Amino acid sequence: MAFLAWLSGSPVGEWVSGSTWAYPGLLFVHTLGLGVLVGLNAAVGLRLLGFAPNVPVADMEPLFQYMWAGFWVNAVSGSVLFIADAPKKAVNPSFIVKLVLIALAVWVMRALKRHAFPQSGTSNGVVSRGARLLAAVSLVLWGGAITAGRLMAYTAALK
Amino acid sequence: MITSFAVWLEATAVSRAVTHYSWIWPACETLHFMGLALLIGNVGVLDLRLLGAVKRLPVAPLNRLIRWGILGFAINLLTGLVFFVGAPTQYVNNIAFAFKLLFMALAAVNLLVFYLFGVARAVEALGPGDDAPLSAKIIAATSLFLWIGVMFWGRMLPFIGNAF
Repeated sequence: MAFLAWLSGSPVGEWVSGSTWAYPGLLFVHTLGLGVLVGLNAAVGLRLLGFAPNVPVADMEPLFQYMWAGFWVNAVSGSVLFIADAPKKAVNPSFIVKLVLIALAVWVMRALKRHAFPQSGTSNGVVSRGARLLAAVSLVLWGGAITAGRLMAYTAALK
Repeated sequence: MITSFAVWLEATAVSRAVTHYSWIWPACETLHFMGLALLIGNVGVLDLRLLGAVKRLPVAPLNRLIRWGILGFAINLLTGLVFFVGAPTQYVNNIAFAFKLLFMALAAVNLLVFYLFGVARAVEALGPGDDAPLSAKIIAATSLFLWIGVMFWGRMLPFIGNAF
């Protein structure tokens, strides 16, 4: 608890709560990262589930770079947002749920890349059952992470 | 005049229902963010492809993904309307909201240019590795800029404007 208070009182924490533009700016960047990460993940997932069957799966692989870029943008912007408000966010139940869902979603994303995008890059037609399942699970997990993230604003008040 | 309309709207039963049930606003916000991701992700794949980032993807099959972007837009139009009906007075004199609408209108114009001036048809034929014409690249970059801008102004509603 002392550590959380120290975080929010640190220069980074002070900067976010003291500056007019840091907080809105970080929120925007965090939203942009979400759009890129979850949006491209949705495009890849929908393809794997069979919704755009003529898109060659293997050639979607470069999209993962952009998804990871979105992830890291949000890991950094999210960490800074956390630091500024650490004592409250750390005990916000939605925040804990959000972190768990993101951890699972990232794990699924890595598994998906391994299963659906074999190094040979040749298999295009058939998507395996396992890859489809992972794709469906990843859509649900990211949807859940968005939900938990949005609800943080509401469950914080309960404390 | 727009202010008096907003005041009138805010007094209606449907507007009061939106703010009366405390779950409606967070539920619509959540859907609004999911819609945002669907829109930016599925439209973004085509934009990135035209700009040359995922160049091996043939363009025509990506049309099927655009439908999901349109679904995202529809979700956001609907949930956005709920916000507007629920609390119209916080939007009508909000500069960020005005810019958000402006950027959406520009995105629509950009889309019209894409479809009405033959660019959409020209890129349809692009196979794996083909370079998109400059006109298509400009439209794709404009699309990304405008949708990211829509997101920016939406996020600024409570900060530059006065929305909650």
